[in-house]
Amino acid sequence: MILTVTLNPTLDKFYWVHELPLSLDKPEEAVLIRSDRSLTSAGGKGINVSTFLSCHGVETVALGFLAGHTGQIILQDLLSRGITANFVWMPGENRTNVTVIVRGREYHPLLIHEEGPPVSEEAMGIFLRKYERMLRRAEYVVLGGSLPPGCSPDCYRTLVQHAHRAGARVIVHAGGDALMRTIGEGPFLVKPDVREDLQLGALPVSTPDEIARAGQWMVAQGVEASLISHHVTGDVLATRDGVWELEARVPLATFKNLVGADDALVGGLLSALIRGEKLVEAARYGMAAALATAEVEEKLCLDAGAIRRELGHVTIRRRSEG
Amino acid sequence: MRVREFMRCDLTSVELDTTVSHVIYLLHQSGLASLPVVDEDGRVVGVISERDLIRAVLPGYVDMLQSVAFLPSLDQLSRRLHEIGPKPVAEFMTEEVVAARPDDNDLHVADLMIRKGLKQIPVLDDQKRLVGVVRRIDLLHRLRR
Repeated sequence: MILTVTLNPTLDKFYWVHELPLSLDKPEEAVLIRSDRSLTSAGGKGINVSTFLSCHGVETVALGFLAGHTGQIILQDLLSRGITANFVWMPGENRTNVTVIVRGREYHPLLIHEEGPPVSEEAMGIFLRKYERMLRRAEYVVLGGSLPPGCSPDCYRTLVQHAHRAGARVIVHAGGDALMRTIGEGPFLVKPDVREDLQLGALPVSTPDEIARAGQWMVAQGVEASLISHHVTGDVLATRDGVWELEARVPLATFKNLVGADDALVGGLLSALIRGEKLVEAARYGMAAALATAEVEEKLCLDAGAIRRELGHVTIRRRSEG
Repeated sequence: MRVREFMRCDLTSVELDTTVSHVIYLLHQSGLASLPVVDEDGRVVGVISERDLIRAVLPGYVDMLQSVAFLPSLDQLSRRLHEIGPKPVAEFMTEEVVAARPDDNDLHVADLMIRKGLKQIPVLDDQKRLVGVVRRIDLLHRLRR
């Protein structure tokens, strides 16, 4: 079973528009933007990974915190998709993240992310007991997304320690300080989120060379593998055995929604690992899942046939310097 | 139809030392009529329901009379609820767990719920661990299709 942790879940709202007038220089009092399509779904990185896995027949349980009316919508969405949910209820209101996608410029969505409700010590205590219990059934744990207010920056590090004691492998699918603090614990794989800041600690991660160096540095610190995306069509996998560049020759114009691509990458990789594939091949399948996801308007591509078709577009090259 | 095809995969549960106050909060938030109580290994060892809580705050003879009409007000119940609020749920839960298995059929579960007068029942695996719940409305919703 794969346990996913989303400490700061969200209700994702997507709006498609034909035009996004961002200049407010005009004297009108309000700017009205009409949307011709919208979608709403439960989200947060861990939840998205669980959604992907569940729809591909992999046993998964989603853990985290729910709050308020938004929390009830998130839970209802998960249950209606047949996803097993085990959340801690707390006061407040879960966040809503808004994505506005301009047709024809899908590669540059406008994102508005809320902070999320604070987590009290009491709620965290209840969560940890639940987490400990569920770890006994878990083969892999995915720690996904940002930490909510009130969470210690060492939170993910603590969760990695608990998982290792229970014998589970951990994937840290997050960014910033919360991720960096887990590296010394030697998680199985880190998938850093470098959307906001093209830095990983002190290391720049703008180019494939820089990403390869950052990945090798993390492996040297104890991580078994590091997978970092550059743009949408490239990933760099670093392990103790070497560094691989994965590339997809797909025109950016085919992309319709990029928001869930990273989560499909992790979900695809995990589903391939569970099938018994080696890490490099699993990463290739993950990238195919990410591409297939970017090519549909829904947040995640849940069509295994579409993912298999994308496999032909993904090439793998081992970097000579290793 | 098998239970696994229509059960709600909601593992919301409480532990033996969870307080009554927290149980009331959880029942209100989750919209569930009862919550499974699990031990440290995640095995379901009891169920705490709205009915258990009401029974805990009402004078014993109310159950027999099947009415609260003769009570002067609900203040007495409110006071009693405050008294038992910090107490562990283990003191008030029903230890006899009426449960279904994922491979039970819908008729068996419907019969169980009607015979026992239950609004929902937990679904347990072979090791008595919670894997879902079936509410009356889940059955009705499924039968309407």
